[in-house]
Amino acid sequence: MNNIYLPYLTTIEDIYEEAPDVRTFRLVFKDEKVRDAFDFKTGQFGLYSAFGAGESTFCIASSPTRKGYIQCTFRKGGRVTGALTDLGVGDTMGFRGPYGNWFPVNEWKGKNIVFIAGGIGLPPVRSVIWNCLDRREDFGEITIVYGAKSVADLVYKNELAQWSQMSDIKLVQTVDPGGETSDWKGKIGFVPTVLEQTAPSPKDAIAITCGPPIMIKFVLQALEKLGFSSEQVYTTLENKMKCGVGKCGRCNVGDIYICKEGPVYTAAEVKRMYNDF
Amino acid sequence: MANKLLKKENLGKLIDTLSGEGSIFVAPRMDARQVVYAPVEKMDEIVFDYIIPINSFKEFLFPQTETVAAFSIHKEGVDLRGVEIEPKETVIFGSRPCDAASVASLRAVFNWDFKDEFYNRREDKAVVMTVACTKADESCFCTTVNLTPDSPNGSDILLKETNDNGYIVEALTDKGKKFVERFNNIFTPQPSAFSLQPIADVKHIVGADVKKIQEWLKDTKNYENPIWAELARKCIGCGACTFACPTCHCFDIVDEGSAFEGERIKNWDACQFEFFTLHTSGHNPRDTQYKRWRNRFMCKFNFYPNKFSSRGCVGCGRCIRVCPVRLDITEVMEEVSNQP
Amino acid sequence: MENQLRQKAKELLEKGEAKVVIGYGWNKRKTRTTPVFITKPEDVEKLVFNPLCVNNLSLYLTRKFTDIKALGKPAIVAKGCDIKTITVLISESQIKREDVVILGMTCNGVVYKQELWKGELKPEIMPTKCHNCDVRNPQSPLPTLPPQVGEEKGGGRSLAADFVIGEKVNFTPPDTPAGMVFDKIRDLDKKSGEERWGFWIEHFNRCIKCYACRQICPLCYCDRCIAEKNMPQWIETSAHPRGNLAWNLKRAMDLAGRCTFCGECERACPVNIPLNLVNQKMALVVKDAFGHRAGYDEKVHPPMIVFNMEDEEDFIK
Repeated sequence: MNNIYLPYLTTIEDIYEEAPDVRTFRLVFKDEKVRDAFDFKTGQFGLYSAFGAGESTFCIASSPTRKGYIQCTFRKGGRVTGALTDLGVGDTMGFRGPYGNWFPVNEWKGKNIVFIAGGIGLPPVRSVIWNCLDRREDFGEITIVYGAKSVADLVYKNELAQWSQMSDIKLVQTVDPGGETSDWKGKIGFVPTVLEQTAPSPKDAIAITCGPPIMIKFVLQALEKLGFSSEQVYTTLENKMKCGVGKCGRCNVGDIYICKEGPVYTAAEVKRMYNDF
Repeated sequence: MANKLLKKENLGKLIDTLSGEGSIFVAPRMDARQVVYAPVEKMDEIVFDYIIPINSFKEFLFPQTETVAAFSIHKEGVDLRGVEIEPKETVIFGSRPCDAASVASLRAVFNWDFKDEFYNRREDKAVVMTVACTKADESCFCTTVNLTPDSPNGSDILLKETNDNGYIVEALTDKGKKFVERFNNIFTPQPSAFSLQPIADVKHIVGADVKKIQEWLKDTKNYENPIWAELARKCIGCGACTFACPTCHCFDIVDEGSAFEGERIKNWDACQFEFFTLHTSGHNPRDTQYKRWRNRFMCKFNFYPNKFSSRGCVGCGRCIRVCPVRLDITEVMEEVSNQP
Repeated sequence: MENQLRQKAKELLEKGEAKVVIGYGWNKRKTRTTPVFITKPEDVEKLVFNPLCVNNLSLYLTRKFTDIKALGKPAIVAKGCDIKTITVLISESQIKREDVVILGMTCNGVVYKQELWKGELKPEIMPTKCHNCDVRNPQSPLPTLPPQVGEEKGGGRSLAADFVIGEKVNFTPPDTPAGMVFDKIRDLDKKSGEERWGFWIEHFNRCIKCYACRQICPLCYCDRCIAEKNMPQWIETSAHPRGNLAWNLKRAMDLAGRCTFCGECERACPVNIPLNLVNQKMALVVKDAFGHRAGYDEKVHPPMIVFNMEDEEDFIK
């Protein structure tokens, strides 16, 4: 019987502590056939199980161009993420997915891409970043603006270091005022402000942004000021989910089910939604 | 297939034969002083003089609590087993036309791209024998949502009461026809002369216009209209309406068990509950009761027709009957229909 | 009586002494009553009072109804039994006496369920609480009872309505509590422990975990109910016998000594679990053990939520 609520079993191959309470897991499917056949598109999410505690929703933080494993990054917050934080390398987790829609990366060929993320909003964007970097010749200029509350809260620090070394991308890192350390070499300021200072051009550009709702609000305003139309801006919405397949009736914003008709939306689509946030 | 006759006295034989074959016969019966759909073993448990049972029969297609997977955790890893169900044939006798119409709505949701076999297998094995309504009460409003007390919509077999303790039987679907053929000793040929009891008269609520409501709800501006807070002010968020409603399908998935083994369980849930949409961060998009009530109304009159091309509300009136504060959905329908 | 009520409500709204009157009104078809919230003096015609007014409106004074609190100072239409609930809420610091205007209604009893009303208030359609009611006249000093544990000497049962609406009712409750609930309790008390356990398991098995009992109860006002906490999941949410028993027992224990027997939980339950039996039995047990009856004095705290140095049990000292 095809059981849509039954997860795949995965082994935790690697755990990286990104920031206090933030972990990145690298997961490998136990079943070889699944491992070889598994494919997804950037922007999709999954429901990750800590058996005994329940399931939680995170995006797939790795890029679909890299086969054989998937990655997820999460912050410890409640029951399930708490139980996941207690797992170690070699332990078993569940994965259900991939669900949802995706970033239409193929439509962006030849365009300049601007990535704007804040705090724990970097993981979904990171999947797109690596997807684009793995096909670097397909895209024009790539700009990344990323900030967090403090230096310790920056995630993917090792990859940020990698990106800052790459000559064909422009990386601007920032921390909130008060979050800098004495040897911090990046900018100091909130992400929307730094974005305005960076002033990427809207010509032939696509912007992708993820982060806390308050940051997204100001980033959208900043992008509008810079001349981006709302069809040029993509974001992901998150909501409490349980089934991930459009049946439990929980994740809807008005008449849009985030798990089936999202989580990726253009800013134009978000503007048209019912105020059910 | 030609119509048949079912004499009430032969129901006993039908129940016995079905039980003998391992099937379940669900019919209206008394339980704790009210009429409910529940399995019966003998004909004298059935209540024939009822308007509508207080519960819907969705619990036989979509149980209140259901295990979907089981797991055991040990040093080497996790043993995970998905649950397979082999439901027994379930005959739902005495369904009402409104309830039968709700099956299409549930089927649409549970088959949206991903097919929920827990639901599908049960529905495949269910035979819906509807008895057309000869009585209605003030909470019934099927005619306002474009159904009738003798609508064939969703039934496998439609029964109409005669004036001499029988039913004229109309088999509507293949499943219904096969069922009637299987019991051709119990379903006898239709007599040449018979008189049917008159079908109930359910007055259409003139002020409530479903089309107008759908149009009004399409405009996102109307989501912010102050009437929502006013109309839903008395709602206490108890979830009784959701659990009694035949088309409400929201559920929760939880893990239960010990550190060594457990089960993943699917339970009924209600968008009326305060913490239904609560994020771990503490943010709750629907943090006041009127927002939650508004969501339920939207779901019935906007999501279902627009997304699932089926009825969100079948006019059975259960939500009105079970509501402890008598929040009447038809009154809201009238208010909304009168909005500019 | 209704005119008196409407007059008083209009006065309160016009003078600004209350910003919202929480009362009963008819539904559109004038067949059932339903809670109404009157904020404009011209709307007071909507207020009614009759034997169909079963709801315990004190529910809307509790902490979760923030949009009702936002309307301003409430005046509430309350029968004697509802005033008892308000008393407990005050004793638990959920509302201040001066923050609510109580319109006490003299009452001849209400129906057990609105569906039973056929035009006449017959004893058989009245709930047990009405047959034993000693608060049918709100303002009269509440009935004399022997002093209760923890009560100050000379302390009063001063809770009364701000205004009394209606004619005085002559009714003396029977000495021995009578009615369906008490008959059933006496019946169950005669049974063995095993039989009683079987009785309750059979009823709780029917629970569908809709939480209507919790939502309608004015005394279930926890910001986050224990059933909704999941770290750890103290009470399982699934409607299987184990989860149902845990939920119903927990709720009964939480209400012991606090429940005023308004009967709303049983009325709200969609599967007719006899919750009145549970809660009233607990009330009798608390009365025997602590001499306390809930709802008669706002200065006395319910015994199960109070720690007193004079308590007999010494294991906690």
